[in-house]
Amino acid sequence: MTTTTVTRAAARVVDAVKVYGGGDTAVRALDGVSVDFPAGRFTAIMGPSGSGKSTLMHCAAGLDTLTSGTARIGDTDLSTLDDRRLTLLRRDRVGFVFQAFNLVPTLTVAENITLPLDLAGRRGDTEWVDALIDVVGLRDRLHHRPAELSGGQQQRVAVARAFAGQPDVVFTDEPTGNLDSRSGGEVLGLLGRTVRQTGRTVVMVTHDPVAAAHADEVVFLADGRLVDRMDAPTADKVLDRMKAFEVPS
Amino acid sequence: MNASVRLSASSLRAHKRRFAGTFLAVVLGVAFLTGTLVMGDTLRAGFDTMFGNAAGGTDAVVRSADAITTPGESQGVRQPVGTDLVRTIERVPGVAAAAPSIQGAGQLVGANGDPIGGQGPPTLAGNWITDPELNPYRLAEGRAPQQSGEVVVNRGAAEKGGLAIGDTTTLRTPDPVEVTVVGLATFGGEDGMAQVTFTGMTRADAEKYLTARPGEAASIQVRAGPGVGQRELVDRLVPVLPEGVEAITGQESAAENTDMISSQFLSLFTTFLLVFSGIALLVATFSIHNTFAIVVAQRTRENALLRALGASRRQVTAATLVEAAVVAVTASAAGLAGGIGIAAGLQALFPAIGFPFPEGALVISALSLLLPLAVGVVVCLGSALLPAARAGRTAPLAALRETAVDTSGASRARAVTGTGMLVLALAVTLVGVLLSPSVWLAGAGAVLALASFVVLGPVASATAVRVLGAPLDRLRGVTGVLARRNALRSPKRTAATAGALMIGVAVVSLFTVFGASLKATMDQTVSRSFAGDVAVSAPSFGAGGSGLSPRLAGAVQELPEVDTAVGLGRGVAEVDGEGRALTVTDPVALSRTFDLGTVHGSLDHLGTDGIAVTGSEAEKRGLTTGDTTRLTFTDGRSGTFTVRAVYGQSELAGDYVITRAAWAPHRTQDSDTLVAVAFKDGVDTDAGRAAVEKVADRYGNPEVQTRDEYAQSSAGGIDMMLTLVYALLALAVLIALLGIANTLTLAVHERTRELGLLRAVGQTRAQLRAMVRWESVLVAAFGTVGGLGLGAFLGWVLVAASDGASDSAFAFAVPPVQLAVVALVGLAAGALAGLRPARRASRLDVLRAVATE
Repeated sequence: MTTTTVTRAAARVVDAVKVYGGGDTAVRALDGVSVDFPAGRFTAIMGPSGSGKSTLMHCAAGLDTLTSGTARIGDTDLSTLDDRRLTLLRRDRVGFVFQAFNLVPTLTVAENITLPLDLAGRRGDTEWVDALIDVVGLRDRLHHRPAELSGGQQQRVAVARAFAGQPDVVFTDEPTGNLDSRSGGEVLGLLGRTVRQTGRTVVMVTHDPVAAAHADEVVFLADGRLVDRMDAPTADKVLDRMKAFEVPS
Repeated sequence: MNASVRLSASSLRAHKRRFAGTFLAVVLGVAFLTGTLVMGDTLRAGFDTMFGNAAGGTDAVVRSADAITTPGESQGVRQPVGTDLVRTIERVPGVAAAAPSIQGAGQLVGANGDPIGGQGPPTLAGNWITDPELNPYRLAEGRAPQQSGEVVVNRGAAEKGGLAIGDTTTLRTPDPVEVTVVGLATFGGEDGMAQVTFTGMTRADAEKYLTARPGEAASIQVRAGPGVGQRELVDRLVPVLPEGVEAITGQESAAENTDMISSQFLSLFTTFLLVFSGIALLVATFSIHNTFAIVVAQRTRENALLRALGASRRQVTAATLVEAAVVAVTASAAGLAGGIGIAAGLQALFPAIGFPFPEGALVISALSLLLPLAVGVVVCLGSALLPAARAGRTAPLAALRETAVDTSGASRARAVTGTGMLVLALAVTLVGVLLSPSVWLAGAGAVLALASFVVLGPVASATAVRVLGAPLDRLRGVTGVLARRNALRSPKRTAATAGALMIGVAVVSLFTVFGASLKATMDQTVSRSFAGDVAVSAPSFGAGGSGLSPRLAGAVQELPEVDTAVGLGRGVAEVDGEGRALTVTDPVALSRTFDLGTVHGSLDHLGTDGIAVTGSEAEKRGLTTGDTTRLTFTDGRSGTFTVRAVYGQSELAGDYVITRAAWAPHRTQDSDTLVAVAFKDGVDTDAGRAAVEKVADRYGNPEVQTRDEYAQSSAGGIDMMLTLVYALLALAVLIALLGIANTLTLAVHERTRELGLLRAVGQTRAQLRAMVRWESVLVAAFGTVGGLGLGAFLGWVLVAASDGASDSAFAFAVPPVQLAVVALVGLAAGALAGLRPARRASRLDVLRAVATE
């Protein structure tokens, strides 16, 4: 599929700075990053360990606050929101898929999928949720508990949960980090298909070039700065670019 | 330092907060126990000193040798001695002085018109002994009574009634006597002998109002001359005393008084408190066990790693036990200090609220230090034993596994064992209550029922939480679902947490049900056997009060509105060698105002040698109408009485009825306990009551009550008792709540990641707090419902067993309002216990919770 014209950013950060700690031990995890995550696209954030990629995602998603700069979801400036509004924003307009511990063990698969909707007291679009269940292929597991599923199945449930509320953007942090390559491939394929078929937006943090290759675009981070962007990535191209970081220049 | 100790030390340092609840539970239990023991010892020592001081100048006491004791009374009624004996005693060489001590019931009316005291401790009147050495009371202010109508009052009573020197008031002996206070007295250096009130009159007044005949005294106090010891004095007195009269030393007399207070009041008081500290510690055991069980479960990976690295089972077990021991010893020590603090506080508090308990340093015996310490350590270590053993059994491989949700506890074996125990408990109880009434069987059944509840807890908790939490889904949506599922996560843990509250609530409900049943019983008794319209009584409780003037019934009878007025007096006699209470009354009038059930024979002509007996007593002694029985009275004389009537109902009329004429030769101080009045047909109750009140006013103003009011006031003491019980049980409930809060805090810690996930996907802080709070409420609801059920059952067992063990019929009543209040308090307590853990949970950092390792 060819890249579509970018008309609108689903999420963006401008001059993002995040400093942990203070004084001599202060760490600049983000050092003036500006990046748009265009709507309807699958963007991967890559970088070596400690490059600030997870911090970028956390701040862009409203899980963490920036030291300076702005983060927006759509037109909403996250720095203007208090904890409650931020929570409501995450619930209604953002989806998440984490590396592990994605599901509430006491809830069934179906309940986990509709959890953000239930927390909001919304019924949501039942046709959409129903279609999602078919897309992730878990119709026969709806009443199982997470503990009865394989790791790959659990991550697929998490993907369904992330998209259930039709959020503006879904953030995911190493969603395949704990999976074997086959299950991982399934989950990544699922993310990619959902973006292309339904026009949703996904932002994924990863250090795996194979995973990044599923994205429409890759942004590279090093030492808290945006260092590069790559359209239509392939695993080999990404790997080459990553190797460049390891060679001291 | 050895490895186990080092491990426990580091773990204790790292997890101080987790043990806070355990620590507090032990501290509270031990403090309560220590406080009780120290208080008991201090009070006992105080009374010792007080009686020693009071009786300091009395070297010997001469009194009649025998006392008649009726069942349920610890202090017998002693025959008086003649005051002419004083002159004989004074002539004995070595006697410096002798004085008669005349004593009877006398209740003062306070400045506001209400009687002073009468709610437990005796209200006494006597002659003011002029020899200050022989008088246990000392004049503190004013002077001794010199003329008729002058009295000295102990300072405590005067203060309570708002009386001062120069005031004039009424003394009910029970005939009202107009008296003027001329002096205030102290007893053994205190404002009174505990709460006992004392009014000292002139000897002539005392003989006139307090004895049936002049020339009689309760005892004769004797003082020895110089160089004569107490024992020697008694030895010299014995030969001159008539038969049936004995002499004891002053020290023995003081010891008897102390024993009397100890057995009647102190030991009851301390036993009562010890029972409640026992309950508190039992509840604490549950909480402590639970905390250790959870901590060990949470540390599975750590322990497995230790095992994998080569730690032996013993080392891992020992590490946990050492941890428990450190908590046990420090918490028990803190509890000891707290307990001594409580005792000191109470000692200071009691006088402030009008209990003149003897002062003096706190008496801290080795026992009251060692026992609570031992109990605290044993309870704490005992509770940690199983979890420690489990820690030792951790497989090294567990280090590699994810710690799974603990679903153990709902096993089939447990369900079968528990159900078996419950069925057995029910069977034993029912046999003990219904088939062959036996308090022991019923008690064994009750204990077994409690045990089966504990065993069944984990099985029941799943079902109970599901049922109790069902409305939550609809009311609170996904928050409710999450709360319910969280409470279901570990049935064993939920059951143990709720178990502590269950025991507390069960005891509360047991007392509530038993109290309501007692009230219903009294109500039923009054409505069944009291056929009159109004009752006149001087409300009193225990040994207090002075009763009613025996002339009141006659005066009320004169009223035009009144058909029958009958006074019931009380006498004692030995029937076939056993002390029994007699009802002294007009039997003809009695049968008109009381429903005596089926009467064989007739009460019309008892005369001076006839007696009426209840069916149950008659059966016990094999008596029927026409038989004779021998009664021995307190004056030592005895007579043969013919059974002229056997009646069915005994609750208000008593077991034996004799006429006033038959009692007159043996009577002591005359008083009626109750005057029952039946109006003529067509007389309005209010009008009749007003007329009776007018007459009663002339006789010391006792209370005139309708039937319902009389029934209610008879039960007044029960409410007082219940209030005290509730106050004491608050501690057990508090410990149970600490347990719930602690379990939840640990659970929150365990679920950090999950809570973070929920927050990340949009659970607001408020929703998260609600989720934790509702889980707490659900656990509390399970404990409360279980406790209510168990308590109601045990209450029924207690009532039914009492019914079987006594002659009078007990009514069983379940008070719905009170139990609903108990249920609400239980639930509210659950919500309260959840507050802190909920707040802590909502403060979790979302990022730290979801960040990957």
